[in-house]
Amino acid sequence: MAINLTDGAIAMLSNGEAQGADLKPILQVVDIRLVNTQQQSNNERYRILLSDATHLQQGMLATQMNSLVKSGKLQKGSVVRLTQFVCNVIQGRMIIIIIELEVILEKCDPIGEPKQYVQGGAASGASQGVRPSMPIQSSVNQTGTATGNPQSYVGTSLPGGQTGGQNVSGGPPLHHSKTDPVANPQSYNSSFAGNPDSGRYTVNNGPPVYPKTEPSGNIPASGPLPISYSDQNQGFHNPRTDGSRASSNTCARPMQSSYQQPPPMYVNRGPVAKNEAPARIIPIAALNPYQGRWTIKARVTAKGELRHYNNPRGDGKVFSFDLLDSHGGEIRVTCFNAVADQFYNQIEVGRVYLISKGSLKPAQKNFNHLNNDHEILLESTSTVQLCMEDDSSIPRQQFNFRPISEVEGMENNSYVDVIGIVSSINPSGSIMRKNGTETQKRTLQLKDMSGRSVELTLWGNFCNAEGQRMQEICDSGIFPVLAVKTGRVSDFNGKAVGTISSSQLFINPDFPEAHRLRQWFDNEGMNTPSVSISRETSGIGKTDVRKTVSQIKDEKLGTSEKPDWVTVNATVSFIKVDNFCYTACPIMIGDRPCNKKVINNGDGKWRCDRCDQSVDDCEYRYLIQFQIQDHTGLTWVTAFQECGEEMMGISARDLYYLKYEEQDDEKFAKIIRKVLFTRYLFKLKVKEETFSDEQRLKVTVIKAERVDPSAESRFLLDMITKLKGEGPSALPQRAAVIPDSGITNIGYGNIGSRPIAPAANNTWSSNNAGRGIGAQSNQVGQYGNQYGSARVPVAGSMGGYLSCNSCGGTGHNSNNCPSIMTGQGQHMGGGFVNRVPPGAGGGSSSECFKCHQFGHWARDCPGSSGVTSTYVSTGVAGRYDGGGFKQQVGGF
Amino acid sequence: MDTSNPAVLVNGELLRMYVGRKVRTVIQVLQSNGGITTGKSTDEHQLVIKGSPPPFPLTNFVEVIGVADSNQSICAERWTNFGNTFDTFSYNQLCQLANGEYKSLFL
Repeated sequence: MAINLTDGAIAMLSNGEAQGADLKPILQVVDIRLVNTQQQSNNERYRILLSDATHLQQGMLATQMNSLVKSGKLQKGSVVRLTQFVCNVIQGRMIIIIIELEVILEKCDPIGEPKQYVQGGAASGASQGVRPSMPIQSSVNQTGTATGNPQSYVGTSLPGGQTGGQNVSGGPPLHHSKTDPVANPQSYNSSFAGNPDSGRYTVNNGPPVYPKTEPSGNIPASGPLPISYSDQNQGFHNPRTDGSRASSNTCARPMQSSYQQPPPMYVNRGPVAKNEAPARIIPIAALNPYQGRWTIKARVTAKGELRHYNNPRGDGKVFSFDLLDSHGGEIRVTCFNAVADQFYNQIEVGRVYLISKGSLKPAQKNFNHLNNDHEILLESTSTVQLCMEDDSSIPRQQFNFRPISEVEGMENNSYVDVIGIVSSINPSGSIMRKNGTETQKRTLQLKDMSGRSVELTLWGNFCNAEGQRMQEICDSGIFPVLAVKTGRVSDFNGKAVGTISSSQLFINPDFPEAHRLRQWFDNEGMNTPSVSISRETSGIGKTDVRKTVSQIKDEKLGTSEKPDWVTVNATVSFIKVDNFCYTACPIMIGDRPCNKKVINNGDGKWRCDRCDQSVDDCEYRYLIQFQIQDHTGLTWVTAFQECGEEMMGISARDLYYLKYEEQDDEKFAKIIRKVLFTRYLFKLKVKEETFSDEQRLKVTVIKAERVDPSAESRFLLDMITKLKGEGPSALPQRAAVIPDSGITNIGYGNIGSRPIAPAANNTWSSNNAGRGIGAQSNQVGQYGNQYGSARVPVAGSMGGYLSCNSCGGTGHNSNNCPSIMTGQGQHMGGGFVNRVPPGAGGGSSSECFKCHQFGHWARDCPGSSGVTSTYVSTGVAGRYDGGGFKQQVGGF
Repeated sequence: MDTSNPAVLVNGELLRMYVGRKVRTVIQVLQSNGGITTGKSTDEHQLVIKGSPPPFPLTNFVEVIGVADSNQSICAERWTNFGNTFDTFSYNQLCQLANGEYKSLFL
């Protein structure tokens, strides 16, 4: 197929004349290169060299078109039609920014012998002191092809003088151009006229430094710069360059902007003094960093809090809000420090604003989930102007609701809008964050017409505001519709959706989707069961995995990537009383004290290295090391401030003064004795850390509470009941279940153990029961039942969707929870469980159930990382399965 | 510890299995006058405790060790105050476990 490239298109593009609306040039891609932008590695851009068979020009592919390159549809030699593009001068180079293109031919041999287009190359010689528009235009007219068809014009003129030199040579003598501008309404000339600074355009090989002096007087005529919406280019150069022609050109060439803005609005490339008229309003989707001036009109859909932050570069505050415009474009606006103060009170959610003079930055995708690659950074010179009259063309809120069934396939940390019926809601509880602060959490179940339900976690303020309202509605027996704007998908417990600070919740909203959902629910949804894509979380947190002291070592807790959180019922057997506290820095950083250790300066002042300041008085904080002991062993643990205070019943400062100032040893000993040999329920964080090349297990007390005998009795009774409940029923259930290998293993989750299971049967009948129950609970409609069988062969550690009510772990349910089973092992069998060296288990039992090779356990399996199931982290799976497995071996 | 004549942990229901034997149980004292104390067992049976109460005042919950007299009465030998709050559920479970399949673990 013969391809005709649009003749002379490059020349026109380069001169900023050819416009997307009236010209869709067909060009060949001569080269594609990936450009590494410094700011963000994920922001790939492709530079494209375009040819019209005569000339070459550089272009940038808009990122949304990257997929074409990646899919191979757009490659070297491809013939494309540019459907939407913008010509800009970037760092002194002419660049065609291709917003949209169609690939006509994926592969084609090079057409013609294009040369680099040097714009108005020779014109530079002629332009000195003369308005370049004149000569150039005249040259155009000289060619006599002013037929109103730019293409034909270019076709004839440019091939002759590839460097544009012709224009120059022909230019100055024939200076009669003004006579017939109307005859040449769409012609090339005016655009050439717009390029007085032709020297600049030769810069393709020119100075790489972008002339920062841009806003000087003569720039206004420099066509390409403002062109993003550049249908108006002509319109706006001309009035500047040559008044007499202006009228002809502007009217001759009706503005074809898709946004219907009168051209003069955009003409503001004049000297600064003239620059005050508002720039024309452009859609958010059209914003790009290469534009100097723009105004957007948009509604604030969400407004963030004014947040204080502290990073190595210092303190600051930040505030952001989200905008939505009438074209559905959305963008985040961020302002810092003084600018944040300036605009914070001005911005109101739901109002419409005109915003201009911000700068565009690449979006911080980890904070910004909006569908825009950029965000606006407001500066002190930016203007934010409230539109008094509401613009009803701008929607109040834009949702992109996805059915819950789709959430299932979404990646962790992606953002989603969902709408559903709240089928149940849990009371809010508080949860400890990593940084030691506490936050509130409330979960609810959301179901929709896709027949799925998902757990939605509300965090922080949502718990009390919207959460409370929903609780009240639910309590009154009505199931409210809840729309969630920007929830975050997490794969904690299957798949769940959580709120983030910029999430928005709408209870019983008034949209068509909500009404449809309500209707569906009232008619049928109420009675149709839905499959949850989240694992049901029990009230018991993961810190409630009950362990014995020896299990901490024996199960190698803390050696996986994440710390292990366990609960131990133990007695304090020894307390290091010499250094029970440290001197802490009281300087507030944000809303929390620094708490780093301060050193006595010798002059009575205390110095903090982190804050780089000295203070008169330091804080005393507990850092107590003590031993805890239970019937299986003892271990050193460390408790910090809050815990220490709770255990000692006195503040660290008071205790310090008591011991070192008042030297009241008797009273001090009394306080210590009150703690010593007292039984506590310790919540521990176990993590192996490296101190000077030495691995040490660090056990930190997160919470210590005195053992409540009644609660403890009930806990033990519960364990006994589980133990007892499994025994007698085990055999029949096992027999029924074992033929179906897929399900059989779900409960317990290891193939390798199957061969030896019969032998272990008597001793460890509870395992088998666990399997049976595991399978049953699958059938009840947990997530696992749909996927269990499908994933089992792949996953290696099976039943990842099952959760254990007892320990919060995965891959088993509470009935065969290893934390209980191993506990039992401890009580009954002593230490046989432990320390089976890798590969030491005899015979068939040492088969690794991950790779089915002999000689090592799954925990030590070299290929384990590749085989683990999606939802079970390697550490957990390995440990639980490994531990349980070993017990079986030991048991028979 | 005297293991020659162990006391069996019982609740109201289990008491009748041990008539004539030494038992121990916890009751919630309802009424005490003279030699007769009435109380409620952890499984909500009404029990009569014979024998004179100790010199000290009884708390709400009391452990009694003595010989089972009949289905519903015990001749008390020793009284121990167990305080004013007590988890009767757990105690009742304990009694059942101590007389059920784990009986061998108990004296």
